[in-house]
Amino acid sequence: MTLDVSRRAFLQRASALSIAGAATPFVMNLAAIGEAAAATASDYKALVCVFMYGGNDYANTLIPADATNYPLYYNQRPGLGYTQAQIAATTLKPTVALSGGQQYALAPELGGLLPIFNAGKMGVMLNVGTLVQPTTKAQYLANSVPLPPKLLSHNDQQSYWQSSSPEGASSGWGGRIGDLLQSGNGTATLTCINPSGNAVFLTGKSAVQYSVSPAGPIALNARNSLQGSTAAGTFLQTLMRTPVNHQMETALSQVTGRALDLYGSVTTALAGAPVTTTVFPKSADPSSSLNAQLQEVAKLISVSSQLGAKRQVFFVSTGRFDTHDGLVTLHPILMQNISDALAAFYATTVELGVANQVTTFTGSDFGRALTANNDGTDHGWGSMHFMLGGAVNGGRYYGTPPLVGNGTTDDIGQGRLIPTTSVDQYAATLASWFGVSATDMPTVLPNIGNYTTKTLGFV
Amino acid sequence: MIESEADGLQIAAPQHSSSPSSAAIALVTLAPLALAACGDGGGSVATPTPPPTPAPLLTAPQVSRFLGQATMGATKADITALATATSYDAWLTAQFGAARPSKFWDFLANNGYNVVANINSQAGYEPMVWAQLISSSDQLRQRVGLALLNMVVVSIDGLEVNWRTPMMAAYLDVLWDNAFGNYRTLLDAVAGSTGMGIYLTFLGSLKANPKTGSVPDENFARELMQLFTIGLYQLNMDGSLALSGGNPVPTYTQADVSGLARVWTGWTYANSDNTTPNRVQLPMINNAANHESGSKVFLGTTIPANTDGPTSKKLALDAIFAHSNVPPFVSKQLIQHLVTSNPSAAYIQRVAAVFANNGSGVRGDLQAVVRAILTDSEARADPTSTTTTFGKLREPVVRLTQWARAYNVTSPTNLWPFGNTSSSASRLSEGVGHAPSVFNWFRPGYSPPGSTINTAGMVAPEFQLVNEPAVVAYVNFMQSLIVNGSGEAKPDYSSLTALATDSQALLNELNLVFAANQIGATTLAGMKTALDTIAVTTSAGINNRIYAAILFVMAAPEFLIAK
Repeated sequence: MTLDVSRRAFLQRASALSIAGAATPFVMNLAAIGEAAAATASDYKALVCVFMYGGNDYANTLIPADATNYPLYYNQRPGLGYTQAQIAATTLKPTVALSGGQQYALAPELGGLLPIFNAGKMGVMLNVGTLVQPTTKAQYLANSVPLPPKLLSHNDQQSYWQSSSPEGASSGWGGRIGDLLQSGNGTATLTCINPSGNAVFLTGKSAVQYSVSPAGPIALNARNSLQGSTAAGTFLQTLMRTPVNHQMETALSQVTGRALDLYGSVTTALAGAPVTTTVFPKSADPSSSLNAQLQEVAKLISVSSQLGAKRQVFFVSTGRFDTHDGLVTLHPILMQNISDALAAFYATTVELGVANQVTTFTGSDFGRALTANNDGTDHGWGSMHFMLGGAVNGGRYYGTPPLVGNGTTDDIGQGRLIPTTSVDQYAATLASWFGVSATDMPTVLPNIGNYTTKTLGFV
Repeated sequence: MIESEADGLQIAAPQHSSSPSSAAIALVTLAPLALAACGDGGGSVATPTPPPTPAPLLTAPQVSRFLGQATMGATKADITALATATSYDAWLTAQFGAARPSKFWDFLANNGYNVVANINSQAGYEPMVWAQLISSSDQLRQRVGLALLNMVVVSIDGLEVNWRTPMMAAYLDVLWDNAFGNYRTLLDAVAGSTGMGIYLTFLGSLKANPKTGSVPDENFARELMQLFTIGLYQLNMDGSLALSGGNPVPTYTQADVSGLARVWTGWTYANSDNTTPNRVQLPMINNAANHESGSKVFLGTTIPANTDGPTSKKLALDAIFAHSNVPPFVSKQLIQHLVTSNPSAAYIQRVAAVFANNGSGVRGDLQAVVRAILTDSEARADPTSTTTTFGKLREPVVRLTQWARAYNVTSPTNLWPFGNTSSSASRLSEGVGHAPSVFNWFRPGYSPPGSTINTAGMVAPEFQLVNEPAVVAYVNFMQSLIVNGSGEAKPDYSSLTALATDSQALLNELNLVFAANQIGATTLAGMKTALDTIAVTTSAGINNRIYAAILFVMAAPEFLIAK
């Protein structure tokens, strides 16, 4: 079954290749050749992006905890900030201390991640965000360096974070990593998988996003018979996957074709997935399906060899982070939800024996302001993020701790941070671990050449 | 608390009074243009001038296509009526002139939903929406209202307060009431609505507090500019970017957002009585003690210090409404929602010009704008069978209402139990008024990555809802509805029964009603062969062939992409 689907998919792409002719991107040729030669990589690796839609409030995620900085934090958000007593138990004890005795604490609701940090399997990325090149406040104010367009706009910064372009982007860096490595997979279309819907992150120049529901692929109910007719059921599928003239028909039919092609092989493989005993707690945020998405990712990873996959990039997401109000009520729930899901997912990879092969990292539209708007916070820029996995050199911070306050040299007002590490560097570090060479890195991250330090060594 | 009704059908059985359910579009039968042209011929003896050539009647496929753009779905009766009795202009005039048969609010009140037991639930929300979209006779208003809801978004799932369902009903009534009014008036009502106040978090926003350092909430200020009025970059009247030195020019800065945020402080409920839903329907009032008293500076406008809340609101909306971006920004999106994802610059410019001035010096006249959109030559030109770019992916919820209207789905006790259709694993991937954020279910600038649409520099907004689970779930969901309806909401296929013995005739009928004859001969031939494998020697067989035929049409890419 697997072979059939894989072969058919290859033949379809191969014919597309011959039609496309000389205009075909080099990477697509590589992909096809690699697929024909079957997998060569002997190991397995997965990247898992956990995206927090809405712009996570960095300051109540990673709280300045030392005697100097805590008051600077709390004074910008009295009533919204955690008390020192609340964060005492989650104050981090990194293996590499920050200068000047600077300390941070996890939000109390992220306490489930503390053992992973202490075990050296989780790192903390300080003040990372979208940039075109290194940018100082003076340069920002003088508008003397290129900046990511449409800063502080949700849709555009989601897109820029995932793709290095605002809304309308043609590909994302997860997909561009897939372009380079899908050739090692038995079925190229199972390289970039999204159990949370659509994200530009997972589409490359040739790599495609394949979406599943949190419960796996969806069966077409009439696939065997429609209203009693086998022929009608068969025709329905031909109809759905056959475009006529229009470019939108083509785009639609490509997605439908993938859904119909891959349903059988993926479902069959998933049915043989090993039963894991790690318990995902009940979602702290009842509107979030993050637990279910990550459980599906774990299942897909557990059957990766059956599906012939050597390198896979996953994207999961959860929302409600746009905390303009109700921060003290809502944000702890969101943190609890993230903590429970990430900790359970990490434990599942340990149970499956693949913890060293799976690296999970967080992302979000942007950080928020430090200064309160009474009961919430408004849009910002740089933020704090987490990297987890057996291969992560964790138990410590990466990047530079930003000055805490309103109107420091590290913020554009109200503690909206100017990133001191770019998403490009964060991404290049992950891509490098995944197998992308330094030479190929600019095809994944076009602006990486603007940074002297290209990878950060956290994995 | 979030109430999830993901796949739940409405269980509550409220009392209900009579329902407004005249399903047919109220068509005003006007004399054909040719007769009108005869005029008052005086008394002179007939000279041998030939009778005026009758204006060519619209063809049935043309009318079906028009109704596909202008309503929640064409019926055979509507197509026949419009093709023989009137003109687009007359139809539009009649639709503009028709009073709303019933408001969303009235549905809740008349069906017993506005009771204290529902203070913290969405009970009644889905029936209210489906009843109106499917069965209300003011179909143009339904379609334009839905477009406005896609642009000026509030989602009931983001209203985590008491009386969220009546709050959402009141918000929908603001959009539907103003759909044929003026955009400036609509903005005023939106900015005064409790629904928007809660959704974009400025109901309860406080002025800056020097003691705590707290600043006004920027949420509404930012999205009012980015999403509802002017967008992020300066535009030409044809919707293209107005460049400076080759670069786009931002419309506002962070300082403009902070300045405008000061206007949206001090707004609150008009009364404190939380025992009835009354206060969620009343426009918000301004509490002067919480309103910013300093000056408010944004977009080159300064509202002087000590200007009160209501005056500040008026001045702010006046200033934004006067921005040169508003006509192309709003017009282009309305075109995208009604007609085509990638309108030409000239089409945008023609509509934007009407937005800027309806011919009588009025800016923002939505009747004029909607008429300009739907009667524009680009909208009305018959699409060629080889077009590869014109048109749009049909919005999922409109596909459902198309089916329901075409086959006269009714709900005898007003339950309209289609539920929340948001699930992408089992339903439509879109629920009316359930958008995941103020950025809606799909963005006007969405371009599917990796597609030739994207390579061509074009957009396909509704494709934001397209992925592998969604395309399969849609077909499964429609198959279930086509065969079973939903609860008491049943289709009536009696008009198709006589056609079912002739698969070609059956398909011809469905192709006209659903797809304006845009499904081509090759596809129809394949459908016919498949349908002929379903024997029609029994009534069950006849039904099965009808069900399969409707599903074929609704699953066909040539239907799904409306040209």
